[in-house]
Amino acid sequence: MSAPAALAGSPGRDPRADAEWSRRRVLGNNLRALVGRAYPRIRGMAGEPSWVLFEILLPFLTTSAFVLVYRALAAPEAYVGFVVLGGALSAFWLNVVWMMASQLYWEKSQGNLELYFAAPMNLMSVLLGMAIGGLVMSSTRAIAVLVVASLVYGVAFDVQQWLLLGVVFLLTLTALYGLGMMLASLFLLWSREAWNLANLMIEPIWFVSGLNFPVGRLGMLGALAIATIPFAVGLDAMRQLVFAGQASLLGTPSPEAEALILVGMTVVFVALARWMMRTIERMARGRGSLSIRWQ
Amino acid sequence: MSASERARGDPGATPFVPSIVAEAGAGDTLRAFRTAALLGWRVESNWTDPALFFIYTVARPIASLLLFVVMIQIVGGGANDEIRAFVILGSSLWATLVAGIAGPAWSVLEDRERYRMLKYLYLSPASFLVLLVGRGVARLAAGAIGTAIALVFAVLVLGLRVDVARVDWPLLLTTLLLGIPPIVAIGVLLGAVCLQTRQESWSYPDAFAGSMFLVTGVVFPLAVLPDPVEVVGLLNPITWWIAGVRQAVLPGGPTSVGGEGSLWTVVTGSASPDAATVVFALFATGALITLAATAIFRLSERRARDQGLLDRTTGS
Amino acid sequence: MSIERTTATLPPAISVAGLRRVYDVKPEPVTALGGVDLEVAPGEFFGLLGPNGAGKTTLIKILTTLLLPTAGEARIFGFDVATDSRRIRRIMNMVAGGEQSGYGILTVREQLWMFSQFYGLGTREGWRRVDELIEAVGLAEQRVQRVSTLATGQRQKMNMARGLLNDPWILFLDEPTLGLDVAAARGIRELILDWKAAVPGRTVLLTTHYMAEADELCERIAIVDRGRILAIGSPEELKRRIQRESIFRLELDHLDGGAARLARLPGVVSAALAADSDAEAQRVVVNLVLVEDAALGAVVTALGGLGSQILALRKSEPTLEDVFIELVGRGFADGADDTDGAGGHAGEDRGSGGGMPATAEVVVAEVEAERVEAGR
Repeated sequence: MSAPAALAGSPGRDPRADAEWSRRRVLGNNLRALVGRAYPRIRGMAGEPSWVLFEILLPFLTTSAFVLVYRALAAPEAYVGFVVLGGALSAFWLNVVWMMASQLYWEKSQGNLELYFAAPMNLMSVLLGMAIGGLVMSSTRAIAVLVVASLVYGVAFDVQQWLLLGVVFLLTLTALYGLGMMLASLFLLWSREAWNLANLMIEPIWFVSGLNFPVGRLGMLGALAIATIPFAVGLDAMRQLVFAGQASLLGTPSPEAEALILVGMTVVFVALARWMMRTIERMARGRGSLSIRWQ
Repeated sequence: MSASERARGDPGATPFVPSIVAEAGAGDTLRAFRTAALLGWRVESNWTDPALFFIYTVARPIASLLLFVVMIQIVGGGANDEIRAFVILGSSLWATLVAGIAGPAWSVLEDRERYRMLKYLYLSPASFLVLLVGRGVARLAAGAIGTAIALVFAVLVLGLRVDVARVDWPLLLTTLLLGIPPIVAIGVLLGAVCLQTRQESWSYPDAFAGSMFLVTGVVFPLAVLPDPVEVVGLLNPITWWIAGVRQAVLPGGPTSVGGEGSLWTVVTGSASPDAATVVFALFATGALITLAATAIFRLSERRARDQGLLDRTTGS
Repeated sequence: MSIERTTATLPPAISVAGLRRVYDVKPEPVTALGGVDLEVAPGEFFGLLGPNGAGKTTLIKILTTLLLPTAGEARIFGFDVATDSRRIRRIMNMVAGGEQSGYGILTVREQLWMFSQFYGLGTREGWRRVDELIEAVGLAEQRVQRVSTLATGQRQKMNMARGLLNDPWILFLDEPTLGLDVAAARGIRELILDWKAAVPGRTVLLTTHYMAEADELCERIAIVDRGRILAIGSPEELKRRIQRESIFRLELDHLDGGAARLARLPGVVSAALAADSDAEAQRVVVNLVLVEDAALGAVVTALGGLGSQILALRKSEPTLEDVFIELVGRGFADGADDTDGAGGHAGEDRGSGGGMPATAEVVVAEVEAERVEAGR
């Protein structure tokens, strides 16, 4: 069991010098770590196609159920569009909650977390890698729900500000995944409760974010959601942009203002995530709780 | 007793006869079920933790309920009380259904990925299926409390009117009891799926339950569905379970199965099924799905053994 | 500047001074490390031996930047584990026995490539290094096999490959051959030795419960118990420390007058016939304990006078296990608990309190004194 090529080191090296990395190398390491962590996510999807049924087809049926509620109530057709857009965007929220926020806790259970901490990259890169890996699946689901539901239920879109729509969509994603990174740190701290917190963040968040109806209809509760939950503000802004001029969407800030709220959320969440990640690493190193195996 | 004597066993004790344990009797099965249910109750319904109680039995069911109530409120405005009650009852029952479905599926995932206990459970003399059913029943019980709380909330806050004197208690009790096996069977079906799939299948039970929203008349009558989908609904025990509970709690209210333009009315000529028909249909479709779930679970179990899936960890 | 030229001027690969680690757990805080001083030179193969709960893993966790010390200082090649963790992580790696890290859905090759990206290797360089290491650890046939389907030995080979991906300067091995069969364990040991020998300055810190493994691999060993280092030295030094008398095994064709004749000779502490003696077959085996080696001359002369012919003469050496039992006072099997580190600290602090004694010899003397006191 010997292969000199694999075991021989590079000539002229020295541990002190090897420990000094240029900024470029640090950046490269983090970008590579991001790609490396995204890989198993995407590979997992490709290797196990059951997600097509459970992540695309069944959610489409759920969205259909909401559409039919409105149809049964003889609601204006615009509401069908609201439901379809909510159904599409909910994929990203579910991804943030299930495959990101609670993920560090799972990594810890699997014995990976200690290796992540002991590796030279920043843990934020790993979190981003998870996010991007999951984003592939979520985007597929979102597009599938949006396209199929639109065709089946004849949703009429009226987009007048394509650029702003694109910006709002991207900002929604960055704010959402920023929140996901922050939650990942928190969930790591709360460990066993993480699973339950993830559960708490489905229906209650959907309700206050107006998954199937304009969030403005919730009054103060809706305003609070717009101010604090990226899913709520992103969904509302996109509804305003995709269904321009719908009277039922009045009562909330303009898409431009909501875009600014999203920018603020992104900055706050990412900064908080960064700070919390450092704090939690320090706390975990202090308490000796980075690994399950060695506890 | 010396070590060698201990190794040979106590001469006064009943000799060990392997055939005694070779066949598990009904008593053993019942014991395994009871143990699993109690374990499930303790693991998944930890009442000592008020936060968990709030999440599972208050926050989620009430939020689900409010999602629909607000939809009705916004659109219907003055939608009549009957429709409101129809939707509230259906969506409140959903908490029980989702919990019952998720129980066995999450047990498979949790025991395999988190506790790494699945292989040991599988190795125990108790039937793996019985253990999963036990866990499913425990979670279903927790879900039922959620349903009860959602209904109380609906009565107190949303103004749901239930005339206790008019409730058909025998029908309610029969329907509720007959509904348990098919709900858990669907959970076992999902458990069979999760036995084959990756750790990220946590959301599968929710997704599956969500899709059943479409076909089981939870919040709108089946009549609005295209005929083939309506047939799927009529073959689904959950449809009859919800219809039965509705008929018992809100007698004379709108039905999810029959009504104008429904397949039921077209075929049978009656506006809605009577109580006996509902109970029979629930029993028959429930038996069918229970048998099907058992068979599918056995197949999945065999494949899991064949492919060595019982002790893998599959996170990605 | 090559490592050959700089090894002498490099700071120690590991330097630990007054290291304490107290876990704040209920019902009362537990001291896992009670003041450890240790220095490992660049290029050294250093072993940590100790019963379960001794504090070995706590020490490794601190050195690998996973745990902060409560007090004291620990440095890796001069970098402080508390404040310079990023730099340390660039030049070290770790592998544990029974490690289940990674993702079961990936193949061996994919899994290793993923880790290569975490360690900052370029994409192409990563694949090349992965393929080389797969070859080196003998996993070529399993390269595209899913990780979840690997046998224990194969999995550990893959873990070793992961540990070498970034070509670390210091490798922490926590019971790397745990649960492996003889061939697999030997393969791992050979790999570690080959890897270390390939570049001067590569340093290994190993914890193991297998004495023979420590004896074979380690240049120096620290015996740890209850959060303290009881002794440090090369395996030979440690063995010499407990061997206060010379023990020989003599095989003779006959011995008139029996072993008692030898026992009366000057410099002989004791002489006894061994159980495998067979006088009828003209093979008498005597276990001889001498005050010192020099006393053997008198024995040989006396045997000549008795007309006995020496068929074989062998000096008995103590094993590391003898050293361990002598110092720790119990074997591995008698460990107070089955865990180590943070979770195993229950019972780790048994009132030892103080820091490391000045020298290992003193410790041996202390242990001896305790044993006398205990009437053992």
